[in-house]
Amino acid sequence: MSGERNLWSRRLALDLRASLGVVAALAIVPAFVDSPYWLGVLIVSVYFALLALGWNLLAGFTGQFSLAPAAFAMLGAYTTALLDYHWKVPLALGIPAAIVSTALLGWLLGRVVLRLKGPYLALTTLSFAEIARVVIGNSYVFTRGDQGLNVPALFHSRVGYYYLFLGVLLAVLAGLYFLMRARAGRFWLAIRDDEIGAESRGIDVVRYKTLAFALSCAICGLAGSLYGTFSQLVSPELGLLLQTGLVISMVVVGGMGSLTGPIVGALIVYLASEWLREVGNIQMIVFSIAVILFARFLRTGLWGLATRAP
Amino acid sequence: MLALDLFVNGLIFGLFYALMAVGLAMIFGVLKVVNFAHGEFYMVGAYTYVLCSMKLGITPWLALPLAAVAGAALGWTVERLLMRPLYAGYSSWSIMKDEYAVVVTFGLSLLLINLVDKVVGPYPYRGPALIETSRFAVGPVMLNGQKLIAAGISIALLVGLALFIKRSLWGRQIQAVAQNRLGASLAGIDATRTTSLIFAVSGLLAALAGALLAPLINPSPDVGAFPAVKSYVIVVLGGMGSIWGAMIASLLLGVLESFFAVYVSYDYRDAFGLLILMLVLIFRPQGLIGEKGRDV
Amino acid sequence: MSLLRTEGLTKHFGGVAAVDGLSFEVEEGEIHGLIGPNGSGKTTALNLLSGFLAPERGRVWLAGEDVTGASTVALARRGLLRMFQMTRVFPRICAFDNLLTAGLARGLAESESASRADALLEELTLGPVRHLDAGQLSGGQRKLLEFGMCFMAPPRIALLDEPFAAVHPVMRETMAGFIRRRNQQGHTFLVVSHDMPIVVELCHRTVCMNAGKLIAAGPTREVLRHPAVIEAYLGSGSHA
Repeated sequence: MSGERNLWSRRLALDLRASLGVVAALAIVPAFVDSPYWLGVLIVSVYFALLALGWNLLAGFTGQFSLAPAAFAMLGAYTTALLDYHWKVPLALGIPAAIVSTALLGWLLGRVVLRLKGPYLALTTLSFAEIARVVIGNSYVFTRGDQGLNVPALFHSRVGYYYLFLGVLLAVLAGLYFLMRARAGRFWLAIRDDEIGAESRGIDVVRYKTLAFALSCAICGLAGSLYGTFSQLVSPELGLLLQTGLVISMVVVGGMGSLTGPIVGALIVYLASEWLREVGNIQMIVFSIAVILFARFLRTGLWGLATRAP
Repeated sequence: MLALDLFVNGLIFGLFYALMAVGLAMIFGVLKVVNFAHGEFYMVGAYTYVLCSMKLGITPWLALPLAAVAGAALGWTVERLLMRPLYAGYSSWSIMKDEYAVVVTFGLSLLLINLVDKVVGPYPYRGPALIETSRFAVGPVMLNGQKLIAAGISIALLVGLALFIKRSLWGRQIQAVAQNRLGASLAGIDATRTTSLIFAVSGLLAALAGALLAPLINPSPDVGAFPAVKSYVIVVLGGMGSIWGAMIASLLLGVLESFFAVYVSYDYRDAFGLLILMLVLIFRPQGLIGEKGRDV
Repeated sequence: MSLLRTEGLTKHFGGVAAVDGLSFEVEEGEIHGLIGPNGSGKTTALNLLSGFLAPERGRVWLAGEDVTGASTVALARRGLLRMFQMTRVFPRICAFDNLLTAGLARGLAESESASRADALLEELTLGPVRHLDAGQLSGGQRKLLEFGMCFMAPPRIALLDEPFAAVHPVMRETMAGFIRRRNQQGHTFLVVSHDMPIVVELCHRTVCMNAGKLIAAGPTREVLRHPAVIEAYLGSGSHA
């Protein structure tokens, strides 16, 4: 970006306006589309948009390249599902519980990986994600393993779910905007750019890193929990590394380090995925090529392309 | 006696793990990045072996080197097309180096798995064994013919690799580039070509591991995932970048897993390796054998 | 009053003493130099004083408070700030935001940070590039930016690690002028440098290290005439 527009506060404001525009566009879709199938597709893409926003907070803004976002979605979903399955806890408590449990676990994970960078961080978070998935998948007695658990629905209207997800997206977007605009956001960016420099200037890197982990994982956990009530089924497949791969692709294609990028990336990738599935089941091939090409030639993603200085 | 049997079988699997992990250790030693598509080199080797011998009617003994060639070609191509930005003078990449490696190799992994899934089909194949004898006894231990031969070939390859690195001109260039890229190029070594060689060797070894194990573990498109994860565990255990460390850690992991599967839990045996990985990364990131890197 | 004091500071690397029993003090309001030939342990000493390394032996006091072994963050909070030989700025945000973030890190409110950032940009002649990402600035501009970040909120003492290395003469003058002006306002500096003319020009007192040990201390001109110092630099072919 050139000139004044490159100031962080301006960049972020532009970013927010663009993302609100996308949300607004999504909000009027049900006026034109009433096929439950396509509404469902859009709901799932908003689910992914939430995961993408959560992961972007950690990786795009704070520079911590975790491979665990899908695992936390799974953990959030299972928190709600297990509370219902074993103790009949109502969703009004079960969903917030998912936020709390994933925030805590995320905070813990953040503390554990504090000193790790790059491939070490990626491998540790990958191990954590896979261990979580394998443990849940194998604890048949507690979690019914691969068969998954049924989850009650919040309500039975697909349009209702559509607006619920959209509402949560809006809330997360607003929350992220206010955080990124304030001290926390600037410190996260500083940590991303130069952790040692940040420390030497008095930024409490430990606190902000673990905070980023907690928030990011909580967003993923919330998304997972809501998804569980929508699909009325949770299974360990939610936490597959493949899902994390999808999330990463979405953010890379959309543009890391922005608010609009992850949302747009999620929509494009997931909608394209559905379309490609009909065309010949080649969606994953196309994405992986897209991811590779973007990473190689267009690092800043579509958002970076759109906001590049002329 | 069960324990001896477990030990020997553990060692044998350790040898196979070593074929996988050593290549990854080499890549990490030189580029300081993890290759998330490493499991797919294994998978490509397995499929080449199986398809050549089953669809093309080539004898398994010839399909083996074909698989090796496929692996080497894939490794070389990956380096040539995708890995250059990490070191070939693209200075602005220094900021995003780690992310790039993860994203690109992850994408590559997805691409290869899905390509094979689409082109060949998602169902597991059974690869023909190199020799058709089944179980027989070697002393107190039960083995089968394929495993024994595969183990023998693995040992030969690993010894060959060690000699190659220590004695040959190429091998010494690899050592030089791994230690100090800039210094090596100033000394006249073509660092880029050497890196291509490293990727090719890495691909070759992983592909051979896949081919050797194809008759034992029916390959499906995502067959590479578990061996890959094990490789990461080993490379970290042995000290990222240390080939000897990787070899020793492979044998260790093979034996430990073997005992864990029987005495503790079969289902969790893969998670066991991951737990070790996490613990090592957290408490001793330089591995059991590697050296502590300097910070700041 | 002694602002930064150390006694017996010691650190070994693999059996070799990089810093050996270093004891000196920096008075409030002075510009203090730290010189020594290559390998004498100056950077290690700086790392020890700024919390990047923990000393094996010895103590460090900041304004009378024992801060031995304190972390970088803790020291920064107490006003001990450090600049690096390889300039450290935040490359993917713009120059203005770099300063703003540094101000926030020192506890300033955003509006206060913003106005000080504007003032510093002017003073450092970085006004024209305020909107450029710090990663796109030239080396000299980045150095100036790093200075600015250090001074968003008054540090109690600023440790400068080879600030004039590889900087071209005009930039050097701007930086020296900046240091002098701040010093006149009462700020304290510890400057590690190879650049003798600047050390003579700026530093009131200086200490010289060689092979990890302190070999001379006192007013700058005297230290530079000290025979041990001259021998350390011209050398009998020895270096640590």
